[in-house]
Amino acid sequence: MNDGARAIDLREVTKVYSTGALEVPALRGVSFTVDAGEYVAVMGPSGSGKSTLMNLIGCLDRATSGTYLLDGVDVSSLDDNELAQIRLQKLGFVFQGFNLLGRTDALRNVALPLFYAGIGGRERAEAARERLSDVGLADRARHKPSELSGGEQQRVAIARALVNDPAVLLADEPTGNLDSQTSEDIMQLFGSLNAAGRTIIMVTHDETVAAHANRVIRLHDGLVVADATMPERRHSG
Amino acid sequence: MMYLEEALRVLLENKIRSLLTITGLIIGVGAVIAIQVLGSGMSGAVEGVLGNFGDRSFFVQPNPRQGNFLKAALHLRDLQTVKRTVPNIVDAQPFSLVRLVAHARHVHSPATVYTASPQSFETRLFQYGQNLMPSDVAQSRPACILSDKIYRRLFADGRDPIGESVHIGARRYVVIGVLAASRTGILNANQGGDIGLPYTTYERDWLQGRSILAGVFYVADIGTIGETEVATVKELRKIRKNAADIQYFTIDRKTITGFISALFTVLTLIVALIGAVSLVVAGIGIMNIMLVSVTERTREIGIRKAIGARHGQILWQFFIEALLLCGIGCGIGLALGLGVGYAVNALALVKLSGTVSSIPWLQATLISTGFVILVTIAFGTYPAYRAARLDPIEALRYE
Repeated sequence: MNDGARAIDLREVTKVYSTGALEVPALRGVSFTVDAGEYVAVMGPSGSGKSTLMNLIGCLDRATSGTYLLDGVDVSSLDDNELAQIRLQKLGFVFQGFNLLGRTDALRNVALPLFYAGIGGRERAEAARERLSDVGLADRARHKPSELSGGEQQRVAIARALVNDPAVLLADEPTGNLDSQTSEDIMQLFGSLNAAGRTIIMVTHDETVAAHANRVIRLHDGLVVADATMPERRHSG
Repeated sequence: MMYLEEALRVLLENKIRSLLTITGLIIGVGAVIAIQVLGSGMSGAVEGVLGNFGDRSFFVQPNPRQGNFLKAALHLRDLQTVKRTVPNIVDAQPFSLVRLVAHARHVHSPATVYTASPQSFETRLFQYGQNLMPSDVAQSRPACILSDKIYRRLFADGRDPIGESVHIGARRYVVIGVLAASRTGILNANQGGDIGLPYTTYERDWLQGRSILAGVFYVADIGTIGETEVATVKELRKIRKNAADIQYFTIDRKTITGFISALFTVLTLIVALIGAVSLVVAGIGIMNIMLVSVTERTREIGIRKAIGARHGQILWQFFIEALLLCGIGCGIGLALGLGVGYAVNALALVKLSGTVSSIPWLQATLISTGFVILVTIAFGTYPAYRAARLDPIEALRYE
């Protein structure tokens, strides 16, 4: 992680979806920066463009116009394979629905990004095991997702997102499918990751979840309507 | 390595589906390989069928389907004429046979009596006695050569029959040789019949001026046997004033080999066609199931892409899966084909050729490897391409 540098730098980014003759603007000029080590919550009602923004930041999609620098790299004009490479090296995803490979055990799920990075089997397993024990699941390595609780599955997903040491951890409603106690555990984990210096960007519609972040960006109709950095706060425990 | 592991796991998870998918491939490859194995056994069998059907001789027979069969019938004098006038012919012998009843002591048996000469048994083994002598033919001696079959019927106690008499009608013949049982040579066995008499003896005792079935002509130069056959037929037709309704056909070793191999070529083509059709059908089946698999696993593909899998890595994953599916199918087909081919060789063709032919391992392996590659590339590429091309955002949304 390069401390002090900009992890995310969005400049006048727009995204327009064309469905036939109809052009639907999802983002209408979004600019903000996220420094390395920040913990940002992106909020907004449905249709505000937060999913679109998340896809752009996650390099799953390209902006219609504007510039996007991720960890110092301009990714606005990269092709699909180059974007895949960026996702592999600089981003970690945590999804609402966990999105683990169903028939694959936790260890292999965590090791998957390293496989695509071309890292050898033994090294892969070692790194994956380490990440699993970081999220407290060392003893669940050989369990398949169906044999794990929701909270455990999300921890596996977090371990997978971290295994390639990404510049940014992206989370899309990470507690959306979890009960409140488990949500709290996951938020604790996010907090400690951030405390260790990890940059986190999290989309949520839940104010109590967003309250864990130290900055909240609010979107409305494809524009940033509020960007508030909270005073340094202690995570509830 | 991990691709292969993954692919194997996916296929094992859908065992029945995978098995049904590759059934067509198993049948197609099995058929093609079996025919390959049979082919190698067949050539041995053809040699076996021909046995010692002499390659220095050819048969001439009136065409039985012609208009004037009686006028075309061959007589001994025709043979003499041909022997005299056609160059390259060194000997001409009649071929004829007749179904009679023979008895030795008080044992009776029906027997096929036929014309023979020392040349008839040149390559045969004798269990008792010996071959005819040229003098037996020259002096029309009442000698006879028994087949193993008739020997065991007439001399059921297994005694040495040499010097004993075999009676046919009012005639008496002295046994001078008994052929060894031959496992090979259907044709040879037919040609041989049961009791062989010097053809001059046969002529005197049984032909009595009637026509013969065929003429056997021996040539000096095997290289020009074709021309000699043509010349012989020409001569025979000249004797009959070139009447349009008189025809002859000739048979030599090449004719028979050619006939059998033509038959086998047709058989091979039919099986190859069936194989090709079933391979195409199997390929379409594989493509179908791969497309289903890609659709079913859309979300998985989305996850993999979101994590950072490149186009080529997804493509490769599904391609390997198709490859494995084809590989297993062709592997089973190969084993099945070799098994069936070998079994038919060992149980049936061996009776003709006398030896179990070796399995053409290399050929069979190359053919089935070829099929694996062909079917995978032809039918596995498109589904893999479809998977690789999926948009990660939409794929992740897929339920």
